[in-house]
Amino acid sequence: MLNAFQEGVVVVVCVNLIAVLGMSVLTGFTRLFSFGNAGFMSIGAYTAAICSVQLRLPFPLAVLCGAAMAGFIAFLLGSLTIRLRGDYFLISCLGFGECVRVLFNYTKGLTGGANGYSGIPYRTTAAVAFFCAVLAFVIAWNFIHSKYGQSLSAIRENEVAAAANGIDVVRCKKMSFVFSAIYAGWAGGLYAHYLRHITPALFNLGKSSELIITTVLGGLGSLTGSVLGTLVVQLLPEFFRGLAEYRMLFYGIAVVLVILVRPAGLYGYREFSITGAVRFVRRLGKGDGQDG
Amino acid sequence: MKILLQQLVIGISIGSIYALIASGYALVYSLLDFSNWAHGEVCMLGAYCCFMAVKVAQFPFWLSCVLGVGGAVAVSLFNERFTYRRIRSNGSPNMFLMIAAMGLSTTYQNLATVIWGGKFKQMPKVFSKSSLNVGGVFIGTTDLLCLALTVIVLVILLLIINKTRFGLHVRAVACAGRTAGILGVRIDRVIALVFMLAGALAGLAGILYGMKYNVYPTMGNVGLKAFIASVIGGLGSVPGAIVGAVLLGLIETVASGYISSGLRDLISFSLLILILLVRPAGLMGVDVQDKA
Amino acid sequence: MADLLTLSNVSKAFGGVHAIDDFSLSLPEGAIQGLIGPNGAGKTTIFNTITGIYRADAGEIRFAGEDITAVQPHQAAQKGIARTFQNIRLFGNLSVLENVVIACNMHAGYHLADALLRLPAYRRAKAEAEEKARGFLEIVGLQDKAGERAASLPYGHQRKLEIARAMATGPRLLLLDEPAAGMNAEESRELVDFIFRLREQFAVTVLLIEHHMDVVTNLCERCTVLNFGRTLASGSMEEIRKNPEVVAAYLGGDEA
Repeated sequence: MLNAFQEGVVVVVCVNLIAVLGMSVLTGFTRLFSFGNAGFMSIGAYTAAICSVQLRLPFPLAVLCGAAMAGFIAFLLGSLTIRLRGDYFLISCLGFGECVRVLFNYTKGLTGGANGYSGIPYRTTAAVAFFCAVLAFVIAWNFIHSKYGQSLSAIRENEVAAAANGIDVVRCKKMSFVFSAIYAGWAGGLYAHYLRHITPALFNLGKSSELIITTVLGGLGSLTGSVLGTLVVQLLPEFFRGLAEYRMLFYGIAVVLVILVRPAGLYGYREFSITGAVRFVRRLGKGDGQDG
Repeated sequence: MKILLQQLVIGISIGSIYALIASGYALVYSLLDFSNWAHGEVCMLGAYCCFMAVKVAQFPFWLSCVLGVGGAVAVSLFNERFTYRRIRSNGSPNMFLMIAAMGLSTTYQNLATVIWGGKFKQMPKVFSKSSLNVGGVFIGTTDLLCLALTVIVLVILLLIINKTRFGLHVRAVACAGRTAGILGVRIDRVIALVFMLAGALAGLAGILYGMKYNVYPTMGNVGLKAFIASVIGGLGSVPGAIVGAVLLGLIETVASGYISSGLRDLISFSLLILILLVRPAGLMGVDVQDKA
Repeated sequence: MADLLTLSNVSKAFGGVHAIDDFSLSLPEGAIQGLIGPNGAGKTTIFNTITGIYRADAGEIRFAGEDITAVQPHQAAQKGIARTFQNIRLFGNLSVLENVVIACNMHAGYHLADALLRLPAYRRAKAEAEEKARGFLEIVGLQDKAGERAASLPYGHQRKLEIARAMATGPRLLLLDEPAAGMNAEESRELVDFIFRLREQFAVTVLLIEHHMDVVTNLCERCTVLNFGRTLASGSMEEIRKNPEVVAAYLGGDEA
């Protein structure tokens, strides 16, 4: 059905989408910054890999373990650091991500150190990845539109007012943090079963910033925007292979431009909807420019 | 004992480079409440300017250093003039400043890779690699020079901030930007000057770092260390940043000397998180509460 | 009538400055009481102490017979204390309706699993919350603006929305911080009627900070005057108006 190249593209897009959705919930909806999500991805990846190679668990269970482990670690870390303000929280996440990478490099017996962990079975086919991405999107959508997700948006908009309306700010932030870590871990587990060989360097600080860049480009506070962002960031380099070395340069410039020109990103603070699109097209047709 | 002493000297000398960059972070943070992630890249570009001047244009070394510092000042001012100021003026949340800075950082890093390639470049050997023997403790001349220069520069910086009219304006804007503006301080000008000052410090740090190690596109990551240092010291506090930087330099050298260089970052990051847990706003920072 | 809220000898200092000093107040259920005083007298600090944003240095705060001196802000809200803010604090990028729905969510009875899987309990509770929120918008007359961005509303509407949001948490005590700020005489009169209606409809007790004296006179049965964090006078409006110290403080006499 798909050739190997197409299959790879689908898997990479879907896996990244899951991680970006987690980031979107955390950064776009709660306005918490984590430069440690690559760390959670690697926890998910290594846990899932070890589960399926050493413990011979079936693939879905292995990925589940990876996601759960990432969520659990996030819960522990969040219990300590979630009260830190702004940049202090950010740097603690960044520090955590780097710690995880160094630790995986160092524990050669378990993880193979810098050479990586290999022999992981190939399980993440395009179909599996696609199914997971759709599931991840639906769950994230439900979460964001529930009272829990609305609480997160309230915290983003005004923490003091959120608390005054009965929202337990610390608890909700922690929930958002754990949610994003679970998604990162989920993505990591899938990724490991696609690559079959993982190294700590895959999940470095650059990966964390790529996730943030994607979220910002797609639009803060919009899940459909995150999908769009992921498609742009992951697909463009596939089409323009010759320009691979300029890839990050373009993204850097794009982020600056987006923030300057269109701070809400490609699709910020609103979701794409069919009815909205139809209304927009009709309005264009009428040309009256009136706001409905 | 002698080894320890030697490492303490090395640690302080590395810490002093961190201090130059960290005080730039602190200055900008104190005025604008955001972490200028592109600061490390300013440092890198300063180093490249110096390198190009001395190697390609064959200028004398002292002139190249001036040009390097000048280049860093220009880049820093450019960032402020064309990015940060515009974001401030359209009333976006502070987070966008940080995202823009992240974008700039990615841009510069990859721009440098595209222009100069990823290879290490060597600064000319201006100072002999010889070391002084002080009672059995060997101290590299570069280290010593680096240390002396930094101390002088930082003392001048603290004098500027605490004793001059300009310093008074900086402190006034840091305390209450709008009020200072009403009282006749030209805020944008003060901010621009602070960016230039921070750029000069970063440029100097870049040249020193390049002399000590090499010049390469990702050397801006030293800015990350400096950022950590300024977080440890308390964001926005220049003396705090200096103390944090020296502390970090010491911890790093002692950790790699006595425990393992592989675990160096793990130890410094864990310590960072620990410090934040005990003092959520760093060693010398003030914990500000959102006033209702 | 039993007292809904009592503050006994509450003090709060910032650095060396006593924002409120040995302050006491008791508020009977169903009352509408005013809290007035010059700027910086500590009025908002009292609100912040009641709602748990600040922790009192000394003294005790009881609400409906329960000690709430050390509660967190969200707990205060859950116990039935709602408030508005002097500098309006809406969820600016969210819609008008969402602002109120978020307040209604406090009583929405579904769990995380219901939400993630979109179970019937979740859908029902979500529809209910929206229904309820629309009701509150209607009360403040913003039902037509439900879909608009909260930050895009004109100032007066923002104040109304904030009150609707506060009422949507289903409070027993409503703290209003300068609700008439920036309103003209006509709007102020409307506000007075509106607050009376709120009390009738929801049996809510009201404590309000206000500078518009006509609003305070028309609305409040009793009033407390604050100066430099201390109670200058407390009593019925009639007593307050005749109190020489109050007159001096407001007119800048030298006895104050």
